[in-house]
Amino acid sequence: MTHEPKVLLAKVGLDGHDRGVKVVAKLLQTAGMEVIYLGIHQRSEAIVEAAIQEDVDVIGLSSLGGAHLQYAEKILALLRERGLEVPVILGGTLPVEDIPRLEAIGIRAVFPAGTRAGEFEEKIRQLAASHRARV
Amino acid sequence: MASDRQTNGGENDTLKAYFEKLETPTTWSGLPTKPCYGPADGAGLDYSRDLNDPGEFPYARGVHADMYRGRLWTKREVCGFGSGRDTNQRLRFQISQGVSGLSIIGDNNSSLTIDADHPMATPEAGLQGVSVNSLRDMEDLFDGIQVEKVSVSFDLSGLNCIAWMAMYVAAAEKRGIDLAALRGTIQNDTLHYQFCGFGDSCPVDMGLKTSVDIIEFCTRRMPLWYTGNANLYDMRENGLDAPQEVAFGLSLAATYIEKAIERGLNVDDIAPRRAFYCSCHIDLFEEVAKLRAARRMWARLMRDRFGAKNPRSLQFRFGVHTSGVSLYPQQPLNNAIRIAYEALAAVLAGAQSIHTCSYDEPIGLPTETSQALAIRTQQILAYETGAAQVADPLGGSWYVESLTNQIEAKAQEIMAEIEKQGGMLAAIKSGWVLREIEAAALRRQSEIESGVKIVIGVNAFQAARETSTPGGVHQLPPGQGEAIAASVRELRRSRDQRRVAEALLRLHECARAGERVNLLPPLIDAARAYATIGEMMGTIRLADGRPYDPMGVLQPPRL
Repeated sequence: MTHEPKVLLAKVGLDGHDRGVKVVAKLLQTAGMEVIYLGIHQRSEAIVEAAIQEDVDVIGLSSLGGAHLQYAEKILALLRERGLEVPVILGGTLPVEDIPRLEAIGIRAVFPAGTRAGEFEEKIRQLAASHRARV
Repeated sequence: MASDRQTNGGENDTLKAYFEKLETPTTWSGLPTKPCYGPADGAGLDYSRDLNDPGEFPYARGVHADMYRGRLWTKREVCGFGSGRDTNQRLRFQISQGVSGLSIIGDNNSSLTIDADHPMATPEAGLQGVSVNSLRDMEDLFDGIQVEKVSVSFDLSGLNCIAWMAMYVAAAEKRGIDLAALRGTIQNDTLHYQFCGFGDSCPVDMGLKTSVDIIEFCTRRMPLWYTGNANLYDMRENGLDAPQEVAFGLSLAATYIEKAIERGLNVDDIAPRRAFYCSCHIDLFEEVAKLRAARRMWARLMRDRFGAKNPRSLQFRFGVHTSGVSLYPQQPLNNAIRIAYEALAAVLAGAQSIHTCSYDEPIGLPTETSQALAIRTQQILAYETGAAQVADPLGGSWYVESLTNQIEAKAQEIMAEIEKQGGMLAAIKSGWVLREIEAAALRRQSEIESGVKIVIGVNAFQAARETSTPGGVHQLPPGQGEAIAASVRELRRSRDQRRVAEALLRLHECARAGERVNLLPPLIDAARAYATIGEMMGTIRLADGRPYDPMGVLQPPRL
């Protein structure tokens, strides 16, 4: 049975650039996914809590403020503490040099600005399917 | 389809490319264009009524008769990261590279008016702008820079505007500088925070009150200071098209004029020191037409709606920020070319001030290398290309005049719709403006997804993803936030606490004394006592019956 992914989107920290994440939310909805967008100024703890409450398949973080590494580390650590293996992806403004670092700490996919919708939709479906298969 | 355009094609593809036709017969904003324009396209125009010479009403062709022969545009580069000291170093570098003005942006904490030692603020301190928490940081920021001899633009728009003005004035007075000598701009468009990610931190009415306080204070005390820019740029960046940028922007700008008049100020006292902060996007002719249309519309609006008589009140003076959202991290050097075209549009349109983005804008903070190139881009335009020699060089072009008319007509339709929504203020409060912006953002992305809009490196002529950034990356030192937070904590320990408490109590009294009591004077006193932004604006929030901390974490200090 095919299952449409349930995706949690959030902006971490205090960065206010939310145009991109809102557009992504709409595109994913249009593609048939269930999307929960938490909004701006989210604390890491609140994101993890929402992921648990909503039992999501993928968490998508938006960061355009340069704090992607700090917040990614914190959220991944919180998820590990809670025993959650839900895949986390990240998009926004960041140097390509940081992509291997993000992947090394456990971010499953990184999408810089300019990524086409087809690319991140496909990746989200893959990650969601393998996550569902495991749990 | 745009995605068919690949760089790795064989001979068949080259032949296909040879016979390729232009597929998009519309402007970036979707206005229809014809293959060619002629005299018939400008038939309805009456020269003296609709265009007139540069420097003459309705200023469609520019606000100065001699344009850049009178004065070149101000070449600025938005700057802000780390501590006041860190940004000071970069400002001095910019000065050494030949900028003709400074432009400073605060960090997210500043936008939210929380201090770097706030638990949510520390990781963000100095990330997207400079961390300025108190007069001490402001003094560091301008260390060794003669503020009475340089035009300084503060790229801020939240409740932090009034706090920064207070600190800037306090810093200047401490140096013995006459406020009347200070030249520059504070953006001071608190309303636009409602749709740029910081709405909750800047309630509409509080924002407007502080905006008008700044207008009033500067009008009386700082005659060379621009009291505010309507920020068209951020709205455009968030998705609006060119006619929408004009319509929303003029409506926004008029709201401040209305509010200042309500305060009891005279339109011809305030309007001469108002300005606009515009985008120049990638469609060269459309952007020039947009700015020409905006000039004509503003002049008529100021005359007809507000009865303004001073020519300076009628003039749409504008700074341009080249479009950050038109830049992409894919093939980043392409951005330098986009920036150059956008800056050319700004010059052809007669901008008073230009910030050219750095090519690494969609990647991170600019490096010295990328920022130097941005400055050189402006200098090449100013001194090599000849683009600056003649006022409104595209005036009289059948195409550009026709496009100017089209944008004006479209923008007027949108402004009529805004009036139907109850006016700009009501349309902001009801969420209508935000919904329009969000819908436009989605349209923009759909155009790229479908290939209606071609973006090189993104949906055409793609290449493998880069593994490094040309010119390197400006990485901030780890632990920066902690260090800045520690310095704020140290300040709190070392300053004269009684003096701070007295100043904040006085500020609280003034903030409760009614809408018309200007809060800048007590804020300047508080700044002199080294009160922090968080304390100053928290005090005003409390007086307004709101939580001290906009993030809902901190309790007010006991005074």
